[in-house]
Amino acid sequence: MAETASGSQDKSVQVKLVLLGEAAVGKSSVVLRFVSNEFQPNKEPTIGAAFLTQKCRLEDRILRYEIWDTAGQERFHSLAPMYYRNAQAAVVVYDVTKATSLEKAKSWVKELQRQANPNIVIALAGNKVDLVQSSSSSSGASSSPDSEDEADDATATPGETPGSPGEPESLRQVPREEAQAYAQEAGLLFFETSAKTGEGIVEVFTEIAKKIPIEHILAASRNNSGRPGAGGRGNNAREENVNLQDDQAKTKDACNC
Amino acid sequence: MATISTALRNFKEPSKDQLTQAFFSIPTSTTHSATIGASGSSKNGSAEEVDKMEINAVLSLGEQNVEDSYAGKLYIIAPYLAFASLDRKSVRLTIPLSTIRRVERLNARAGVYALSLLTWHGMKIIVQLTSLRPTADLFCSLLRDALKIELQKGQMKAVKGFSRTCFSEHLITEQGPGEVAEGAGAPDVVDKDADGDDVAYHGGLGLKFKFPGDPKKLREASKLKLWTTYLKSHGRNLTLLRYPQCTRLVQVGLPNRLRGEMWETLSGSIYLRYANPGFYDRLLEEHKGRTSTSTEDIEKDLHRSLPEYAGYQSEEGISALRRVLQAYSFKNPELGYCQAMNILAAAILIYMSEEQAFWLLEVLCDRLLPGYYAPSMHGTLLDQRVFEALVQRCLPMIHEHFQSVDVQLSVASLPWFLSLYINSMPMVFAFRIVDCFFCMGPKVLFQVGLAILKINGEKLLEIQDDGGFLNLMRDYFASLGDSANPKSTDPRARAITKFQELLLISFREFSIITDETIQSERKRYRSEIITSIESFSKRSSIRNLKSLGRFAKDQVGLIYDALYKAMCVVPPPPVALPPPSLIKTADGTEGEGRVETRIGAATFKVFLSEVVTWARNDKIVRNGFGSIGGLDVGLGRERVDREVADHEFLDRLFYFWDVECRGALSFQDLVSGLDGVMFNDLMENIEWFFNLHDKNKDGHLTKDEVLTLSETFLFIFRHEVGDAYLGAVSRFMTNAFEYGDALLPRPESKEGAEVPDSPPPIESNQPYLNLATFRMVVLADEILESFFETDLSASFQLHPLPELDLPLPSASTSGFLGDLWSSIATDSNKKMFNMITDELGKTIGKHQVINKPSIGRYTKLEEPKARESLLTPSMRKSVSKSSLKSSDTGITTTTGGMTSPTTTTSGTISSSGLSDLTIPTSSSSTVSRASASGGGGGTSKSLPPVPPSPIAESDKDRQADTMLQAVAKAGATVLERTPFAIDDAQDSSSEEEEDDEDEDEDDDEEDDDEEEDDEEDEDEDDEEEEEEEEINEDDQVLDEVDAFLEAHDSGLTDADKEVAKQLQTAQPLR
Ligand SMILES: Nc1nc2c(ncn2[C@@H]2O[C@H](COP(=O)(O)OP(=O)(O)OP(=O)(O)O)[C@@H](O)[C@H]2O)c(=O)[nH]1
Ligand SMILES: [Mg+2]
Repeated sequence: MAETASGSQDKSVQVKLVLLGEAAVGKSSVVLRFVSNEFQPNKEPTIGAAFLTQKCRLEDRILRYEIWDTAGQERFHSLAPMYYRNAQAAVVVYDVTKATSLEKAKSWVKELQRQANPNIVIALAGNKVDLVQSSSSSSGASSSPDSEDEADDATATPGETPGSPGEPESLRQVPREEAQAYAQEAGLLFFETSAKTGEGIVEVFTEIAKKIPIEHILAASRNNSGRPGAGGRGNNAREENVNLQDDQAKTKDACNC
Repeated sequence: MATISTALRNFKEPSKDQLTQAFFSIPTSTTHSATIGASGSSKNGSAEEVDKMEINAVLSLGEQNVEDSYAGKLYIIAPYLAFASLDRKSVRLTIPLSTIRRVERLNARAGVYALSLLTWHGMKIIVQLTSLRPTADLFCSLLRDALKIELQKGQMKAVKGFSRTCFSEHLITEQGPGEVAEGAGAPDVVDKDADGDDVAYHGGLGLKFKFPGDPKKLREASKLKLWTTYLKSHGRNLTLLRYPQCTRLVQVGLPNRLRGEMWETLSGSIYLRYANPGFYDRLLEEHKGRTSTSTEDIEKDLHRSLPEYAGYQSEEGISALRRVLQAYSFKNPELGYCQAMNILAAAILIYMSEEQAFWLLEVLCDRLLPGYYAPSMHGTLLDQRVFEALVQRCLPMIHEHFQSVDVQLSVASLPWFLSLYINSMPMVFAFRIVDCFFCMGPKVLFQVGLAILKINGEKLLEIQDDGGFLNLMRDYFASLGDSANPKSTDPRARAITKFQELLLISFREFSIITDETIQSERKRYRSEIITSIESFSKRSSIRNLKSLGRFAKDQVGLIYDALYKAMCVVPPPPVALPPPSLIKTADGTEGEGRVETRIGAATFKVFLSEVVTWARNDKIVRNGFGSIGGLDVGLGRERVDREVADHEFLDRLFYFWDVECRGALSFQDLVSGLDGVMFNDLMENIEWFFNLHDKNKDGHLTKDEVLTLSETFLFIFRHEVGDAYLGAVSRFMTNAFEYGDALLPRPESKEGAEVPDSPPPIESNQPYLNLATFRMVVLADEILESFFETDLSASFQLHPLPELDLPLPSASTSGFLGDLWSSIATDSNKKMFNMITDELGKTIGKHQVINKPSIGRYTKLEEPKARESLLTPSMRKSVSKSSLKSSDTGITTTTGGMTSPTTTTSGTISSSGLSDLTIPTSSSSTVSRASASGGGGGTSKSLPPVPPSPIAESDKDRQADTMLQAVAKAGATVLERTPFAIDDAQDSSSEEEEDDEDEDEDDDEEDDDEEEDDEEDEDEDDEEEEEEEEINEDDQVLDEVDAFLEAHDSGLTDADKEVAKQLQTAQPLR
């Protein structure tokens, strides 16, 4: 399971990461794969947001990801700022078998670039590539190389109906090149992933880790009464003792936007 | 992808009647008629004006020594009868009139007016009407009439069939709950080969796929037994009476098999199902095969709804879920489908049939969780804000700590509310909260939320960030089944789970949170939430524009504001589908979310009037006095009345900007449209204007189009002072036709010129004037040239809105939206005031109305400079006539106010007999203006709609309030044990109960209470060790029931009680 300790004492760098993307593109599945290396074919839709943590080793450093997995449906959109505020990284996910999901991803990127932390590292992830790979072409899942999780996922993606066995490539609606070109233009990291097979998942997070201005975060947190990873938030937080008088007029958003 | 909604603006605080109806879970007439209407039947068409009346009454059960009598209020809200005790919580009932089988006046001693009501279930209710005699008589006659209507509608007969669908009926006729099979080997409920007309009762997937939780652990059998007893003597399903014991039994958790029905009974959705038989099936039938954004979204989530439950691993469960969610989205297309609804629907379908679940969903979305699942989710955001405020008030330490470490409460609490905790805690526990929620109302969500925070208070004070908060909550929820006192030596104390502790704290410590609290807090924060939602949607609308054109961002913001204001004035047609039964085509694949907001022509004109000078009639009104009394606010002296202009040209513009030919304009269309004219230079403007009139886009205007174009000129110039512009237009026409004719290759054109009255050389709808010629004609005239050079573009103006002349009513709503809000709110007041000053002005002969010019550059008639006019003498004559007329356009002073100055600009120019140009400028608005001032007195009379509220009534309310407070104060200590039938189940130790009570009275702390209770009970156990385990189980349930004891005040004196008692044995009159 995910590590749950919130006040870890080690010298890890805390990085807040948010996942955004259209409903059912597989955000929660991507996180689950990253955090506990499993895949659940029927994951409940995320309501509001879910929170998970995972450590990630990078050379001599340990990054501790605080992952906010958000709800994808359009009407939850207005809640998103609550979760991406102060995020240092974002993974914007789309579904390679669904063209509209890339459009939604683009609009997320646009919003992040305008509204979020200016130094935010954004990765674009085209998920569910397993559905368009010829390796699993013959008739579905049996040939997939991974662990037992996949044994029963004939119903994995109800909307996708992997019923047409002949041509999995035809399921693809977003050409890799197109998305990659867009990512390049917008200055994003780009990956194609599969939460189901695990392909590309770890890479997303390690590449983000490499690109994160760690020194910056460390410096920021040093100024922040020694609390790791507090980059840019809660500057009057005290480790042991909270002086309530110190609570200088906080301009907290009335609403979450 | 922008949805702009002004729907939130239309919110109205519920009226007292509406609150009463909601309190009694009575379907509102709108829901009612909407559903009936949609179903195509017109069952209660006659019941337009619902009969309502309330009266003071004392309610007693016919059966003696079962329940106390309670004072309260009895209501007729046809077709329902309702009662609530004075404290509004001890006793209440809502009974469809059609279930009342007999009403008799009781023979009682003088001065006592009492009725005995017999329900379909054979239950007798006695109501003593304690109001004055005439009121009581009136009430009775109303009741009689209402009953008669039900009889005529045949509703009385419907009861029997309906009650067969209710599990409770089967429960009380079953031999005993002990024989009810638990979960496994579910009875074949759907009795398809029914011998006779037996319809099986409705039930959920749980009957087939088992209910979550261990029935033994949940003590199902004991609970069913207790309920059987209760339902036998207190009515059931449609006729359930809710006494304190009912609430307590709900608080210990409903038994699985009865749960679905109790949910619909307690929430009141049963009344909807009862009133709309067959609606659900018809709805599905009518919409078969229909797809929409909602159905797509639903499809995505079907396999993602409580996937661990066996029922949702089968096609049966999935398709039931699909049908219910789809049906709801068809019923309420504006709401459609919101994630989290799948979780609710999946949960309730375990316990109820599809039809039951459908109506419960309706009640949830409509009344219990208002606005939670709406596209803007404003209800969710609002209640989160309310919750935060309650935390601040009740748990200030936690609130301050959260503030200091910048932790946002909603990151955890939002899903609690949105999914009724089902998504947050183990299902068995969540369902118990849901039980209480349906029984006690939405305040439960807040009470439980506060209790969660309170219980975890110490740990919460240590968390440092959102993540820590969420982790703590997750761990807590995972441990709800653990003992709350693991270290206690007392096994009974150890047996108390954290969940039981949670409920106790929720309902005891946070009983101060009432429905009224929630209501008033919602009221307080509503505008704040709406403002932030609106500014959020403004920002994202702007961000989502594909192109800003040449506008800066803040200019686009101004365009948005103008659009928004226009939408407030003339709301566009709803984004979503019209009510299902009204559409025949399946052209409805658009739902919320992906739909772009688009406005129609009417809204467009309002929009234009905000940004274009000639699209409005700005009337400067002077009444000739500086101030009236102390009212020297500038209003009396001079003001500008803005009216929206209407002209064919505005429609033309509308379609010109509708580049996708959708018959409606999006925000993007407006931005692009404005971009297409506001940055133009001379040549571009001429071309723009030309294209606007070239309907078939063949690069030529026809003669008709030239005339239309001239009308446009006249429209745009209608308010210009002097006759310069009029002259320019007539010269334009002269020249246009001259050039046009001259360039025609046909020889007849010469003849045509010589004989003015001859028919046109070419058909009036044939290509006639090309752009180059048009340009030449325009450039031949100085006025037109300057119009196209600068004035046209400059007549489009983006100003911050609105120009306020009244101060803000409240500081809490600030910024533009607040301003707009207040300006709309006070609009009618302003109109009133203006009307009065107008009347005054007219009386003293100083009333003066001047149209503000739209351009205002030239005022004098310019003689043609470039070349001589080729107009015929007759034409010239008519032109000069109209010029003459227009010369007094400028400043027209009217004393009567009836002859308006604007009418004078509707000059008529007849040109070579082609057609008559009648320019209908704003004469219509003038008329309305005139009638408005004429009817001023009438309007002002109808304005204050404050109904005279009887003082006595509000007094009583206050009385009830203070009583409530007293009860609340006493509540913590005085715990009255109502004598009740379930005591029988607890064979022994009635003395010990009394001991309990005594201790309760001494104790303030629930936890202590709890433990002491437990000790006592343990003694009990020791005594009856050899008793059957079942009894033991019953005891455990009762222990829990006891824990929820609360003070209940019947509101009666001993003498009153005596009267009530006598009535129980009284005979009917005659
Ligand atoms: N074949 C395949 N299916 C996937 C993959 N990732 C996710 N899915 C399936 O897609 C569906 C949606 O996955 P989720 O992870 O719940 O999607 P989400 O983006 O979190 O959805 P929301 O919480 O509603 O926004 C599930 O049924 C998953 O099993 C993948 O890589 N391959
Ligand atoms: Mg998710």
